[in-house]
Amino acid sequence: MLKADRHLFTFALTVCVVVSALLSTAATLLKDRQDLMVELDRKRNVLSAFGLDIYDEDGRRLGVEAVDKIFADNIREVILDGQTGELLEGLTSADLDPRELRDKQKLLLYKWEEDGEFTRFAFPISGLGLWSTIYGYLALDQDLATILGVTFYDHGETPGLGAEIERDWWQEQFEGKKLYADGEPADFRVIKGGVSRRYPDGHPSAVDGLSGATVTGEGVARFINADFRRYNRYFETIREGG
Amino acid sequence: MGARTKIITDPLSDNNPITIQVLGICSALAITVQVENAFVMACALTFVLTSSNVIISLLRKQIPGRIRMIVEISIIASLVVLVDQTLRAFFFELSRQLSIFVALIITNCIVMGRAEAFATQNPPGPSLLDGLGNSIGYSVIILLVATGREILGSGTWYGIRVLPEAYMGNGLAVLAPGAFLILGVIIWIQRTVTNNFKDD
Repeated sequence: MLKADRHLFTFALTVCVVVSALLSTAATLLKDRQDLMVELDRKRNVLSAFGLDIYDEDGRRLGVEAVDKIFADNIREVILDGQTGELLEGLTSADLDPRELRDKQKLLLYKWEEDGEFTRFAFPISGLGLWSTIYGYLALDQDLATILGVTFYDHGETPGLGAEIERDWWQEQFEGKKLYADGEPADFRVIKGGVSRRYPDGHPSAVDGLSGATVTGEGVARFINADFRRYNRYFETIREGG
Repeated sequence: MGARTKIITDPLSDNNPITIQVLGICSALAITVQVENAFVMACALTFVLTSSNVIISLLRKQIPGRIRMIVEISIIASLVVLVDQTLRAFFFELSRQLSIFVALIITNCIVMGRAEAFATQNPPGPSLLDGLGNSIGYSVIILLVATGREILGSGTWYGIRVLPEAYMGNGLAVLAPGAFLILGVIIWIQRTVTNNFKDD
């Protein structure tokens, strides 16, 4: 082997070892904090869907302790069967393989408890936008029909276009819209060009689309409808049983 | 003007990486919809470019010529991953907004360009200055483009409303072609003012 070649291999090997050691150390050190931030963000999104203010008096986002306290005080989670919508007693999300939730074989439902009564319901929603799977939460009022709030927290849509689904002004439009009317699930829609252009008097189950993000909007409407129908099987038993 | 000062000031105007060399256009188009994103991008690029210049310059006599570029890319990519991971841990909201574009610093031609053109041939001191100068030259331009796009497109600057609520927002400014137009105007103005262009 030539001397130059030996140097080449030694150098390449050293670079690989040093760089991988550095990066794996950094990734390991930062992992816990990253996971914490992801989990905190997810929980804040649940609260925000429930219609809660996720900012404290100083205008800062609620921290881990404040968020966990609200979860412990008011939020109860139950697991439903993805096919039948049946309540699976005694299960919590901690017992499940995350894949079962992701593939919607099992459904997670958050109930808001107030004075011993369940007054609000929130569940994860997800589906395809233009480029990516969009994840969010949707909360319903006690009537199991009216949207209290919706959030989207993870997606890979185009910044400035599809990514505008994260904006408050867009999400606020969903509040008060109906997913259930006249005894059946309503056809929820995101309308390109704006609701008022097609329905001058407004529409109970439609919101304005985003300019330059038609496909993202259509995707959102599609998976909101699909996910609501999954949970509706369980909601029917509540409606019937009271 | 001293040679060292010139290393820093040159990329600000006469040899600006974006407007004169027309490098780094991809990110100049992608992350300039909002000033905040452009600002974080500018900081991230400054860190990556300055560090990569210094590291490559320190290793310049050891790096074997035949694998020079692979080594450079490994160093640049590692720095970018470090930035990306740190943003995710400490600036979660921002990292989500910038999404893929932090990782794309790896392919920013300015970083590789400075490594090849300067750091491999100069000692660490001047390489540091060269990295800083080019970062600032890049930052100034993307912040200008973002300012134009955010004001025209959304009526805000750094999220603060500067045009009345009634302003509709120009859809073109939000899209990539809007960035091309604004960047084109900036290049036009700069070349006219400094009279620094080749006229064939």
